[in-house]
Amino acid sequence: MKKVINIPLGSQHISLLEPVRFQFKTHNEKIVEVGADVGFVHRGIERACVTQFEWKKLPYVVARVCGLCAITHSLSFTLAVEKMLEFESTRRIDYLRMLMVELDRIHSHMLCLSHTAENAGFEAMFMEVMAAREPVMDLQEAISGNRVQFDYIAIGGVHRDISPETAKEVVATLDALKPKIERLLEEFSKNWSLSLKYRGVGMLTYEEACIYNTLGPLARAAGLRTDVRLESSDLPYEEVGFEVVLEKGGDIHARNMVRLYEILNSIEMCKNIVQNLPEGEHLLKIKGKPKGEAIVRLEAPRGELMYLVRGSGKNFLDRVRIKTPTFSGIPAMVEIFKGSEYADAPAILASFDPCMSCTAK
Amino acid sequence: MKWLAQFRKKSPWILHYNAGSCNGCDIEILAALSPRFDLERFGIVNTGNPKQTDIFLVTGPVTFHSRERLVELYSQIPEPKVVVAVGACTSTGGVFRGMYNVEDGIDRYIPVDVYVPGCAASPQLIIDGIVQALSILEKKNKAIEKPFRLFGGIKRIGKKISRLTMAKRIGEEK
Repeated sequence: MKKVINIPLGSQHISLLEPVRFQFKTHNEKIVEVGADVGFVHRGIERACVTQFEWKKLPYVVARVCGLCAITHSLSFTLAVEKMLEFESTRRIDYLRMLMVELDRIHSHMLCLSHTAENAGFEAMFMEVMAAREPVMDLQEAISGNRVQFDYIAIGGVHRDISPETAKEVVATLDALKPKIERLLEEFSKNWSLSLKYRGVGMLTYEEACIYNTLGPLARAAGLRTDVRLESSDLPYEEVGFEVVLEKGGDIHARNMVRLYEILNSIEMCKNIVQNLPEGEHLLKIKGKPKGEAIVRLEAPRGELMYLVRGSGKNFLDRVRIKTPTFSGIPAMVEIFKGSEYADAPAILASFDPCMSCTAK
Repeated sequence: MKWLAQFRKKSPWILHYNAGSCNGCDIEILAALSPRFDLERFGIVNTGNPKQTDIFLVTGPVTFHSRERLVELYSQIPEPKVVVAVGACTSTGGVFRGMYNVEDGIDRYIPVDVYVPGCAASPQLIIDGIVQALSILEKKNKAIEKPFRLFGGIKRIGKKISRLTMAKRIGEEK
């Protein structure tokens, strides 16, 4: 007997950090159709950027688009404005900015891994990953002064310089974190009960990844070689030992592996940055008002983040357009859900690492 | 039934709802539940079910899309209940104050017992707020608490949907 059952997931659900609503149509337990409503968190930031706040205040406003990748948002906006003002940053500023972006990537990926483990029913793993994540949060607090919404990026540099003691602490903490990540790598790849929930679940093939225009770890887990750190030259990533992580599976397991290897790569990069930190000023003065148009792309923890900024030499900008990674990933998400079991839906959803406050702005 | 209050205090369950925040406070709530800060030592469990909830944690200024859900969740929680507003934008609107799709803080819609400041509120402050909420929960009784506003039908002025007339204070709906 074929009977279609409607099951809603959200907007409030135990497995969701943020409101999003999925409407699943299922045959028995198999999902056949999915509808998504992602607009719960729409606040109107793009509009407020051109009417309510002057351009100098905007790095702190766009950081509030998303708490997880706040630094990438404020950095993209700042780079766009600096391009319009023809500002040449020093290498020390670039290195300090890269350090915070990579630390942010580590903690965001670890949060996603713990959330995926929790939604697969492995509470102890959730606790373990969250406990291993806390030293990274402490590092961010030591460098910038706040745990999550650190307004570290200023137009013309960064707000705080890093002291030699803090630099030593960064290296020591990351050295201590590395064996923990290697243990997690073994656990995620060899644990039998986790493999039941992860392997072969939520498949996205290479062709589908190309068709649906996926980005970030979702695409790299399917074998699609796309990473903005590889393509753009706004920040000197090749100097600090960046490598692209690729997996072939395309299932939840492959996404976890991509995130874990990226954490290892980010740890190496952070250590390289701190050990080879160039001398120089950390905050330079900047003159003039932004005029013209600039586009900046950066790799956020979830994929490519694009900013378009247009100004005409006034205090208020003409247009700020934000294109976020999860927004591009929604068609692929809806496609992956089709054909999988309803019981796997929370784990699949967590493995996308969706950021709805980015998407709705 | 005074002896029940003790059990309620020793094992309060929380419900977390994101009414349009930036995720910052939400991940700090998750960090507060994790081993370093360990909110669970107070007997607290994060449930997804409003009907088993004692403490309602809300983050974010209320967006127009999520306010109906907020009021609905609040109405479904049985008394006694405590509301904790986590973060600056939940309390006053914060950086989002005055944006076109945002209400300034949740206390326009539901009565708030504890305000937790900070952007993002740190786990220590969240734990402090919840411990304060526990002492408030102890004093509360079964008297029914209502949200300030409920929703009628959608009203149109010309071709536009009017947002101001949609939400009315209880008692003046008709």
